[in-house]
Amino acid sequence: MSETKALETMIGEEYKYGFSTDIEYEEFPLGINEDVVRLISEKKNEPEWMTEFRLNAYRAWTEMEEPDWFNATYEKPNFETLQFYSAPKHRPKLDSLDEVDPKIRETYEKLGIPLEEQKMLAGVAVDAVFDSVSVFTSFKEKLAEAGVIFCSISEAIQEYPELIKKYMGSVVPVRDNFYAALNSAVFSDGSFCYVPKDTICPMELSTYFRINNMNSGQFERTLIIAEENSHVSYLEGCTAPMYDEHQLHAAVVELVALDNAEIKYSTIQNWYSGDEDGKGGIYNFVTKRGACRGKNSKISWTQLETGSAVTLKYPSVILQGDNSIGEFYSVAVTNKKQQADTGTKMIHIGKNTKSTIISKGISAGNSNNSYRGLVKFNRKAENARNFSQCDSMLIGQTCGAHTFPYIESANPTGKIEHEATTSRVGEDQIFYLQQRGISEDDAISLIVNGFCKDVLKELPMEFAVEANKLLGIKLEGSVG
Amino acid sequence: MLELKDVYAEVEGEGIEILKGVSLTINKGEIHAIMGPNGSGKSTLAKVVSGHPEYEVTQGDILFNGESILELDPDERAHAGIFLAFQYPVEVPGVTNTTLLRESYNTIAASRGREELDPLEFDDYIREKLDLVEMNPDFLERSVNTGFSGGEKKRNEIFQMAVLQPSLALLDETDSGLDIDALRVVSEGINKLHTSEDAVILITHYQRLLNYIVPDFVHVMRDGRIVKTGGKELALELEEKGYDWLDSQTTVNGEVK
Amino acid sequence: MTLNKQIELSVLHNLAAAETAPEERWADIRKESRSALSQTAFPHRKIEEWRFTDLRPITRTEFVPLENAGAFPVSGAETYFIPESEGSRLVFVNGRYQEELSSTGPLGKGVIFGNLAEYEDNPVVQEYLNKLLNYEEDVFSLYNGALLNDGAFIHLEKNAKAEAPIQVLHLYTDSAKPFVATPRLLVVAEEESDLTIVEDHVGLGNNVYMTLPVSEVKVKEGAHIHHVRLQRDSEEAVHVSRPIAYVEKNSEYHAYTITLGARLSRNEPRVVQEDEEVDFTLDGLVLIDGNQIADTHSVMDHRFAHGQSHQLHKVVVNGNAHSIFNGKIFVRKDAQKIDSFQENRNLLLSYEGLVNTKPQLEIFADDVLCSHGATIGQLDPEEVFYLQSRGMTEEKAKEVLTYAFALETIENVKIESVHKLLIEEVNRYTRANSIQKETV
Repeated sequence: MSETKALETMIGEEYKYGFSTDIEYEEFPLGINEDVVRLISEKKNEPEWMTEFRLNAYRAWTEMEEPDWFNATYEKPNFETLQFYSAPKHRPKLDSLDEVDPKIRETYEKLGIPLEEQKMLAGVAVDAVFDSVSVFTSFKEKLAEAGVIFCSISEAIQEYPELIKKYMGSVVPVRDNFYAALNSAVFSDGSFCYVPKDTICPMELSTYFRINNMNSGQFERTLIIAEENSHVSYLEGCTAPMYDEHQLHAAVVELVALDNAEIKYSTIQNWYSGDEDGKGGIYNFVTKRGACRGKNSKISWTQLETGSAVTLKYPSVILQGDNSIGEFYSVAVTNKKQQADTGTKMIHIGKNTKSTIISKGISAGNSNNSYRGLVKFNRKAENARNFSQCDSMLIGQTCGAHTFPYIESANPTGKIEHEATTSRVGEDQIFYLQQRGISEDDAISLIVNGFCKDVLKELPMEFAVEANKLLGIKLEGSVG
Repeated sequence: MLELKDVYAEVEGEGIEILKGVSLTINKGEIHAIMGPNGSGKSTLAKVVSGHPEYEVTQGDILFNGESILELDPDERAHAGIFLAFQYPVEVPGVTNTTLLRESYNTIAASRGREELDPLEFDDYIREKLDLVEMNPDFLERSVNTGFSGGEKKRNEIFQMAVLQPSLALLDETDSGLDIDALRVVSEGINKLHTSEDAVILITHYQRLLNYIVPDFVHVMRDGRIVKTGGKELALELEEKGYDWLDSQTTVNGEVK
Repeated sequence: MTLNKQIELSVLHNLAAAETAPEERWADIRKESRSALSQTAFPHRKIEEWRFTDLRPITRTEFVPLENAGAFPVSGAETYFIPESEGSRLVFVNGRYQEELSSTGPLGKGVIFGNLAEYEDNPVVQEYLNKLLNYEEDVFSLYNGALLNDGAFIHLEKNAKAEAPIQVLHLYTDSAKPFVATPRLLVVAEEESDLTIVEDHVGLGNNVYMTLPVSEVKVKEGAHIHHVRLQRDSEEAVHVSRPIAYVEKNSEYHAYTITLGARLSRNEPRVVQEDEEVDFTLDGLVLIDGNQIADTHSVMDHRFAHGQSHQLHKVVVNGNAHSIFNGKIFVRKDAQKIDSFQENRNLLLSYEGLVNTKPQLEIFADDVLCSHGATIGQLDPEEVFYLQSRGMTEEKAKEVLTYAFALETIENVKIESVHKLLIEEVNRYTRANSIQKETV
């Protein structure tokens, strides 16, 4: 139980250990208008067409209404007083891990994060053998050898304008939704990945991310393009609890898979979720969408969502190419007063397209957890197939589990199967495991991990282990 | 090893008394059989000893190796060496048998100062035990009891017992739902595992199991009490005359215990 | 002009909004509904509950009061009488009670039934009529209230067992102009009573009319109700129904709705659990074709512990037809030990047809067993092949399989003649559809 306390204290308290005191902002006006958008573009030294892209998005955004159709209530962000641009932060460097809050270290230990990575996460100066620059350099060399472009989106705008012009906004149009429009106007930074034809990306694009890309800001923008016959796996996020002074996070992620290409995108999200009363905590309003443009292409989303006060997120796949495949594997855990409304959209357009949805929602405390999904077969989607399994587990009697699956078919040769169940961690299961010598908390952790197994096995190996532990930590002490 | 002293127990919060003064002493190396009709309290007895949260001991005490275990959680009792083979083994979807057993084995080992086994060592160790109950190694990677037949579940319980090596095994209706071959395999397994260092309590409705596992003592329960205690021949007598025979017996003798 | 403005100005809204003399029957209910109506917007597709439903069959039609519609007289009503209800039949034509066609002979001790209007002063009617309605922001039930006239009233006293099913038959005739009917059904089943109702809506011609039936059902402790609802309206009709039932301790309510007719139908059955230990069913069968739109929005609301509910909703869509299903299961806080099951299966037979489904679970208690499943597909090609290999033509095989698919939902309809009738209806549908060749 002490670990729970530690975690709660840690994420509930102000950071005493240096993170929040010395953050430097560049002078920047509050609120948003065309001048602010121009200024952002100027600060980033962007070409004219990019400025236009942003302005276009901004104008669209001003005409849109903030959505309210989801199953969550929260105080709407005040866009007048929001700071829409902040320069990369300069974290103070600590000299050794001993200076890090021992509670934070305890959590790192519990999650099994390697020592060197712990240092980076905590902002400790690292030695020459394993500093981020050298890792990054060797990483880049290896990718360059394979011909893979992997850089920040800002860099890509400068270096690969043709690719950006061609693909940015092509999957998530600037007018797609309120938060996507806002992101398109003010996005801070993010990642760009281009995998050329006939290329298997030689490594998981994850380690780099975990260490170097912790501060892309609140309006992150990601674009991944997989050319014909290519393959890439990408992981964002981190099991370690993440604290950020920005409450609103509105990212946009666009994936494009061409003929026979495959993109696997995994997310572990453990942002600060607010205190017991639901105060504070991140609003995580993300638009993630992939387009299977090519024949036999495949896009797979895997997500483990445990953090944030409010999560609204529907990673989707547009299955345009014949025989293309879309997958969505999700575990969403809510505790305390968290609210998650998450799911996916699978839009079948091409022939013989297939999609699979496996969603596991776990609600505990006073939280509400909703699955919201759309499976749509267009008239021309001959022989399309979908299978969805949406299971909810409730822990305790003050939480809620909701399932809103929208299913539509306009093609008589298609086949859609949707199943959903609701269950709980049974007292008989806990007793059985306790009788075999396992403590109550471990028993719950085992049962929950069993419940989520079909999703967790989709995560890259090294993260699956951490993910298991994270689930346990998240739910400790929530039964009985 | 195990001593029940005038134990009264009821369903937690509901005030329904199920055990009404049970006293029983079990020593190392002994096999006891507890028999009785449905609803006599014999399964409750097993649950109370292993610490099921549904039951509350309202009076009396339970000593294990001389110390009261009433305040211990079920997992702590398991660490102490108490094993319950469930009448209805619980399904735990997504958790494999191996995962459960390694977790169990290592926590019990740690609490008893034995050495924990790494995954490879553990794998060797459990494969040995599989043979004891003639189980297919495929079982190891299947979710605990999920989709198992009734017989497979019961075998799985004995397999777990073999792996965890308890000092006191409570076998609750382990024979029910087993065909004759499975009954033989399970019984042989139990016999092989039993040594002079541990004790076994067999809870059963029928005498059948006792053809395979010979008890040192037979106790008959009725309405929350042990109404008769004897040797293995008592079981045969019961089989022949039925539980109603006891009614006349107890009335005639005028004593309830 | 917005759609809503159009509607407000439409004859329909005016019709309902027209003042009625205070001495008229149900003056209070009418007034109450009228005043609520002035605060209630007509639905449109931006409202979540209506996003898939095309309301143009309503909004593009000029409906007039029945008196001005030039309705034809009824003929051949007896064709629709069921033999089991020889002495227990309430017949309405265009929403108006027909004494000469009805039959209200004794049906056992404590069973009272007849035209609602005749029971205006009955204390049970006074207590419950219009009080059980619970539809949020709903113009249709308010239209019914504002235009309330005749209806069926059934009251079962304590321990009363109806000896035969009561048939509530609604016939709709052709007319010169489209009219609106607003039938009402009030059923109050006291403790330990038992009743079977067969509610049947039949369009005798093929012209446009709109019927807005509302039923209010109260199932008290230990009572059992078996409620069959058959909708065979004209192919141009609009049918918007609001059947709601409240189930008390140890009671059972089993409803089976069969939707065959109407250009546009919107059925919103609701069951509200008012105490522990209840068992209810909301099964449905929808067979549609042509330009039909059939929309079912159901609610199973578990407010107390120990409830059991079951919903099997089967749909066959052919031609340009469009089926919409939204089945909500609510399990409120502390409503533990609920066992609720919902299954929606759709057969989509044509390229022009469309199926929308949204099975919805909203659970606030942890010790429950709730599940739902939804499928959309065609007939299993393996099954078709199997039957072909046994000598059937492909058409025949499909017909047989469609028939089998539909049949499962009507197995629980216990009244023999109705069961037979439903089998005939299913047969008629599958035959008609097997003639149509594959489009591709």
